[in-house]
Amino acid sequence: MMRKTANIVLLLVAVAFCYGLQLSKPHYGDLIGPIPTRGRTGETIVGRNFEARAEKVVFARNLKADRYGETKILTTGGVWAVVTVEFAARAQSTSVAVASWRGPTGLAYDQTERMSFADGLLPVTIDPGLPKKARLVFELRPDEVSNAILLISEKLMSALDSQAEISLGPVATASDSLPAGTVDTLDLTQPM
Amino acid sequence: MTARDLVQQSGLGERKWRRRSLWALLLLIPLTLAVEAYDSIKALLADNDLFARRVAWGQSVHFGGSDWKLTNLRGAFGMANLPPDSVPVLADFSVKVGDPDLQKLWLGCKVMLIDAAGRRWSPTSAVTLKAPADVQTCTSAIFSGAKSGDTLNLRETFLVPKDVAKSIRPAVGLASERPHFLLFQLERD
Repeated sequence: MMRKTANIVLLLVAVAFCYGLQLSKPHYGDLIGPIPTRGRTGETIVGRNFEARAEKVVFARNLKADRYGETKILTTGGVWAVVTVEFAARAQSTSVAVASWRGPTGLAYDQTERMSFADGLLPVTIDPGLPKKARLVFELRPDEVSNAILLISEKLMSALDSQAEISLGPVATASDSLPAGTVDTLDLTQPM
Repeated sequence: MTARDLVQQSGLGERKWRRRSLWALLLLIPLTLAVEAYDSIKALLADNDLFARRVAWGQSVHFGGSDWKLTNLRGAFGMANLPPDSVPVLADFSVKVGDPDLQKLWLGCKVMLIDAAGRRWSPTSAVTLKAPADVQTCTSAIFSGAKSGDTLNLRETFLVPKDVAKSIRPAVGLASERPHFLLFQLERD
């Protein structure tokens, strides 16, 4: 009788323990997901293979870019965000290809594909000792601009590899509901 | 033999086997880990250039079925439109083809420069220099249809910081030879 009770108690303890494990353990997707390295604008974020430093963010109503010698103006119903980032390779040559903009409500915006003809965008190949700047261009809703996080990784499936998470901080809103300091037209043909 | 004896005996046997099973775990758990990890370790070794085989200057070495020799390593100074304090470096190899199945043996061909600290540079696309018609890159040579006994001239172009230009050494890795790779020494070494 005593033994039976002890067994039942042991079983209950095991069930409770397993349930506790299930509640407290990280999700499988988190375990094999990218490994975040966090920082702020202006800080150098050091990942496994690359370093990234977001220099500045500029908001614009329109973008001006060259397409095969012809000037093109890109308009938007939202707002353009152009982030200038300096990249550096660490131990070996590599390339950084993927960036996204995570807004305060959790909406994630990939880089725009409307600019694929322009220079100076991702993917950027980097060699050790030779830092290189690139522009990340996003087309956003104005309410996703403030307190956003910039996510940068070498490739799309960066499982168990570094992902730079750069907090871009609060952005004041002007009377037209666009971010304060939004320029009318940003000229991307100018050097960074 | 009474029923009580039987019960006692089976209890003894059970205890003995329980002890044996526990001891067996000592062997079985490491064995399971080894079996589970085998494929991953094989992939790790097959994908990475880990162990350097040093090649003295002027020496020719059999690697991936062919004989590899470094013929030149030089900087191309004075070029415009490059990042500050960077210099293009050209590495020239002369390869005498032995086994002509390059598509199998030279798969994943990777030429790189390695500095004293172990940093690795891959060929660049930022610099384009005119080369003689018979000069190829490692990857283009794979599809050149070279026959046994042919000599291929390979050239790769790199972009490195000026301050490491003195300490870099060229290296070659092929999927068929990984995790081993060739690390070429220079004349002054």
